[in-house]
Amino acid sequence: MIAAFIDNMRLALGTFRANPLRTLLTLLGIVIGVATVITMMALLEGLRLKVNKDLSQLGANVFRVEKWPSGFNLGGRPNWQRISKRPALTLADRKAIAEQCPSVRVTSASSGQPGQKVATAHTESQANVFIIGATPEYIDTAGIEIAEGRFFNDGDDSDGRRVAVLGPDVVDRMFPKVSPLGQEIRLRGRPYTVIGVLERRGKVLGMFNLDNMVFLPMQTYLGAYGKRRSVSINVQAHDQASMDKAQEEVTRVLRGRRQVPNEEESNFEISTNESTAKTLNELSNVVTAATFGVCLLSLLVGGIGILNIMLVAVTERTKEIGIRKALGARKRRILMQFASEAVVLSLAGGIVGLGLGYGLAFLGRWALDFPTAVPVWAVALSLVMSSGVGLVFGIYPAARAARLDPVEAMRSE
Amino acid sequence: MLIQLSGIERTYTVGTEKVHALRGVDLSIDAGEWVAIIGQSGSGKSTLMNVIGCLDTPTRGTYFLNGKDVARMDDDSLADVRNREIGFVFQNFQLLPRETALANVELPLVYRGVKAAVRHARAQEALVKVGLADRVHHRPNELSGGQRQRVAIARALAGEPSLLLADEPTGNLDSATGEEIIKLFTQLHEQGHTIVLVTHEPKLAARCPRAVRLSDGLVVADGPGKEVALISVAA
Ligand SMILES: Nc1ncnc2c1ncn2[C@@H]1O[C@H](COP(=O)(O)OP(=O)(O)OP(=O)(O)O)[C@@H](O)[C@H]1O
Ligand SMILES: [Mg+2]
Repeated sequence: MIAAFIDNMRLALGTFRANPLRTLLTLLGIVIGVATVITMMALLEGLRLKVNKDLSQLGANVFRVEKWPSGFNLGGRPNWQRISKRPALTLADRKAIAEQCPSVRVTSASSGQPGQKVATAHTESQANVFIIGATPEYIDTAGIEIAEGRFFNDGDDSDGRRVAVLGPDVVDRMFPKVSPLGQEIRLRGRPYTVIGVLERRGKVLGMFNLDNMVFLPMQTYLGAYGKRRSVSINVQAHDQASMDKAQEEVTRVLRGRRQVPNEEESNFEISTNESTAKTLNELSNVVTAATFGVCLLSLLVGGIGILNIMLVAVTERTKEIGIRKALGARKRRILMQFASEAVVLSLAGGIVGLGLGYGLAFLGRWALDFPTAVPVWAVALSLVMSSGVGLVFGIYPAARAARLDPVEAMRSE
Repeated sequence: MLIQLSGIERTYTVGTEKVHALRGVDLSIDAGEWVAIIGQSGSGKSTLMNVIGCLDTPTRGTYFLNGKDVARMDDDSLADVRNREIGFVFQNFQLLPRETALANVELPLVYRGVKAAVRHARAQEALVKVGLADRVHHRPNELSGGQRQRVAIARALAGEPSLLLADEPTGNLDSATGEEIIKLFTQLHEQGHTIVLVTHEPKLAARCPRAVRLSDGLVVADGPGKEVALISVAA
């Protein structure tokens, strides 16, 4: 049994060696199928791992209340016409939450203005800086930390003081040589004094830069950029256990204040680190399924290639089969010989595809600075699938070989 | 009685035409006999060998091998009989072109499930017997016709079959090598192996204890080698 297996493996590899180029070309379908799966899964898995980390932008036990659905929460089909008519979230809403929700420990508000220029007396940045107005509690609820200096205090906010906290990229750009603390920056021509610098956080998905930001106290910001802006409210519950309760309380308070009728959906959005990650994972599942669809198609093409090359092999080697049968090979042995050959070939295609997929994933990481990680299950699955294809499409030619009549087969040339 | 053929017919259908290769052969061969089969080209010698070797099934007639009705055996049991009991030397060698002489000789042992080390040793030994010790790792296309024939003989011998079926085994050999092979057969005969040998050389047939003459698919003479071979000269 084992001897027969070893013998079959040796024969299968022998054929591959005899005609590597033709074999490889026939196996292209399988190679491409497996390479596609591996590359896509590597990208998705890398994205998922990175995103789950990146998206932890909220502090522990924090959820975020917003007027708009945030980028990742686009599950379903939002009715933009209605959403655009939603009333703004205000600082008064925040105050109400703080006062009326017993499960809430602390709240903060923030609001942002993208695409701004930062200037000093000597230099000026590109118009790509994100200006955020935030209340002092923001530092506790947004998962950010101070590297140097300090964040705002209540006095900064209530008095609308012209102070700013900078992201590290802004510091690198504006103050490459000197400490930024105590220096002056200008936004839309108005001067602000730098009182703090944030810890570096990196980019979300390698795209959205969390470090290219300037924070202003909320009142200062509203004064400069317009009072009627909607704000986002970060809410921190007392602990993990009270997260759900806190969300219920906030929902109830806000529905009341915004006069949402009982039967209607809330006209604001609540997201947590988990809910964002969940939406993203669901999205990645859809992409995974689609990838497997494509992959199955190319495996089918690959399988037909196997069928073809094995039928040719059986015809070309009719004489060999006749000799083997004449000398005592049983039907099953011949069947196994050709079936294992098909499996080995197709598995070889799978392994080449695997290598190619790894290569592409690596290239993606290196050239596009995109996170990639090949998941083990995808490797296992593609190997199983490629050998499965070999078996399914190799069995018919193998059965034909096994059925040959030895005398007739030996007469063929 | 090892081989018992009665009324064996073998008819090939080519298009609408029927070719009667064997037309009712009756033949019995005892264990330990050495029988030559002679006859003109196309008289049905190879066809008869295939029937005796359980490779081909007769269109009509019965064949008992070792008391067992071959017609009642399934493909796999026939494969096992060929593998364990019969050594074939085919008329045109029938070697695997992509394998070495050694691997070719090992083939029957592979299907018998003999361990690789034992297999190598026995195949090597058989190749030495036929004088091919220095061509063990050559492929058939690197060998002369006579050498290929000797590989084919070594393959038949390696399994130490009880029944050796050889179709013109000395056809491509010079007289000296041919003589070596006949000596080998004589040895095997003395050891008790049964040998059926197809030949067109009356001289060789004359040296066999028994010869059978086929003509147009029928046995026309059966007797001591000298006599049957002589008839051929007379005819
Ligand atoms: N597969 C086949 N299909 C049709 N006819 C066949 C087939 N095999 C053999 N024959 C015919 O059967 C007859 C006997 O053939 P066979 O090969 O047994 O002759 P032979 O005695 O071995 O001849 P030789 O000495 O030339 O080898 C021939 O007429 C041959 O044409
Ligand atoms: Mg013949």
